[in-house]
Amino acid sequence: METVSSAYTVELLVANRYGALNRITGIYARRGYNIDSLNMITDNPDVYRIIISSKGDEYARTQVVRQLSKLYDIKEVKLV
Amino acid sequence: MSTAKLSGAQIVIEQLVRHGATTVFGYPGGSVLPIYDALYQNADRIKHIITAHEQGAAHAADGYARVSGKVGVVIATSGPGATNLVTGIANAYLDSVPLVAITGNAPVPLLGRDAFQEVDIVGITQPIVKHNFVVRDISDLESTFAEAFAIADSGRKGPVLVDIPKNIQEAMCEYGGKIADAPAPREIVEVTDNAIDAAITAIMNAKRPFIYAGGGVIAAEACTLLQTFAELISAPVGFSLMGLTALPHSHPLALGMCGMHGKYAATVAKSECDVMIALGVRFSDRATGNIEIYKQNKTIVHVDIDMAELAKNVAPNIEICGDVKSVLQRMIPQLSAVRNQDWVDRIAELKSKCGELNQVGEFTPQRVIETVGDKLGGDAVIATDVGQHQMWTMQYYPFKAPRTFLTSGGLGTMGYGMGAAIGGCVANGRKRTILFTGDGSFGMNLNELVTAVSQNLPLVIIIVNNGVLGMVRQWQKRFYEQRYSQTTLNRKTDFVALAEAFGAKGFRAENIVELNSILKHLPSEGPVVIDCHVCMDEEVLPMIPPGKAVDDMITTKFDMEVAN
Ligand SMILES: Cc1ncc(C[n+]2csc(CCOP(=O)(O)OP(=O)(O)O)c2C)c(N)n1
Ligand SMILES: [Mg+2]
Repeated sequence: METVSSAYTVELLVANRYGALNRITGIYARRGYNIDSLNMITDNPDVYRIIISSKGDEYARTQVVRQLSKLYDIKEVKLV
Repeated sequence: MSTAKLSGAQIVIEQLVRHGATTVFGYPGGSVLPIYDALYQNADRIKHIITAHEQGAAHAADGYARVSGKVGVVIATSGPGATNLVTGIANAYLDSVPLVAITGNAPVPLLGRDAFQEVDIVGITQPIVKHNFVVRDISDLESTFAEAFAIADSGRKGPVLVDIPKNIQEAMCEYGGKIADAPAPREIVEVTDNAIDAAITAIMNAKRPFIYAGGGVIAAEACTLLQTFAELISAPVGFSLMGLTALPHSHPLALGMCGMHGKYAATVAKSECDVMIALGVRFSDRATGNIEIYKQNKTIVHVDIDMAELAKNVAPNIEICGDVKSVLQRMIPQLSAVRNQDWVDRIAELKSKCGELNQVGEFTPQRVIETVGDKLGGDAVIATDVGQHQMWTMQYYPFKAPRTFLTSGGLGTMGYGMGAAIGGCVANGRKRTILFTGDGSFGMNLNELVTAVSQNLPLVIIIVNNGVLGMVRQWQKRFYEQRYSQTTLNRKTDFVALAEAFGAKGFRAENIVELNSILKHLPSEGPVVIDCHVCMDEEVLPMIPPGKAVDDMITTKFDMEVAN
């Protein structure tokens, strides 16, 4: 498995509910992954689009995507 | 269903009944007064058991869930009631136990103002639940409950917390009209034919197949299929702590637990296999030790319902995301019977070596556990606390059936045992239930004796009393040059008198004859405490030191190593 760290971005579709952002950043914080940037697009009041950039190797990327996919508020996770 | 206006508290009751939660555990307080009032008025529909402490209630709901296979329910008031649940929720999270925890909170207009007994329990528990909710609008209450039960009981099971501010419990709302069922939680289960085919090829070509079975096998109700699968391919089976009862202890292919304190045969066979089929396990560090060595020279097929477990700790060669039952149902018809005599012989050899290592002497903790197993055995539910006595129970107790072993695996919670035994006993038709606890662990939650007494539960509480925090002492002996910092208890508690003071029966055993005679004359009702005075210097062996591998396994007692 490739272990070099590089920048990557995930794009999430998230139900607009209390604490959703907290749950998302919690996944990063717990593993000690830094968030370099976070953008929230709120055109649709029910489902927000959140775009997060971070750095990590293939393992980190896979884990982040898989852990985020487990969050109940998250409707979709894409590695872009 | 016709619609009627109900209070929030009544909606809670209706939703509990609708989801089959007819026994719940908890403790009242100011912020849950409306719910407790509704419980009072619905006592014929829901049995509520009050414990001594909310932690005990959470562990009881956990034990109830593990035995019954249903979702356990615990209720607590806001503030300290809610924070007292935290250990119990974390325990359920780490062992994937389905639980719905209901907490009261300050009324919505006061939230965030540090109102009396207000805590942000949703924030506090966020990393230890599958999901949690604050119900700020009464019209969400019904659907929230449906979602909570669905989330707790689907996919990889786990705890869900529902925080209900007091004014929401009092508000009125139509019930049963709007949202009947929860939207099914999104599951990421995609068993591809490719992965199954690859697994089948690997298994059919294996010379030395080995099955590593975890709690996921039990959660998926796949124990019978596991047995069929193992017998078909003549593969020995090692277990994680959570999976230990997936096959009966006496099954010829069952080698016992793998890992740090696992059985010799299980750990060695696992290291020697060429294909490991890991079913519903998460490769915890206690189970694997050094991961690089662990993975060497084998093909690993990992089946788990939780996609995030695949490649989290050990990168498998073949990963299958799916429920163990459906995966085995698909694989078994495509496999033909195979048997490699050399491997079968090797396993027999390892098992006989395992027997030699396990020779135990007089009134040792191991002997206490074996004796209780012999005399009370049957299919009783067994709970443990955490420490050496827990590991010896895992090694020596002759478990016969799944859902009979309640033990805190992932969190290793001392104090889990009393609550778990209470919940397990209630779930098992209030039949005799055995708790193996340590003098240290019992000290953490012995207050729950009050619950066992008030419920008149036939618990047999065996205190494996070595006078020390034995497991920590063992590490101090091995790794800290016998500096026994704060592990020699010197407490002089009279557990017989203590049991009697609580209204239970108490006995003391200093040797095997006394223990046998106590067990022979056990009262048929109510809790019994048996204080077994055992020696403090037994060690749990074998032991693989943390981060080490099978070749570093310690099999000789420290005192003997020193003597030689
Ligand atoms: C709540 C909690 N605190 C501390 C520990 C650390 N710990 C693990 S085992 C152990 C000793 C347990 O002593 P006892 O219950 O007497 O069991 P023994 O090992 O002697 O059989 C301790 C302190 C823990 N697991 N849980
Ligand atoms: Mg002890």
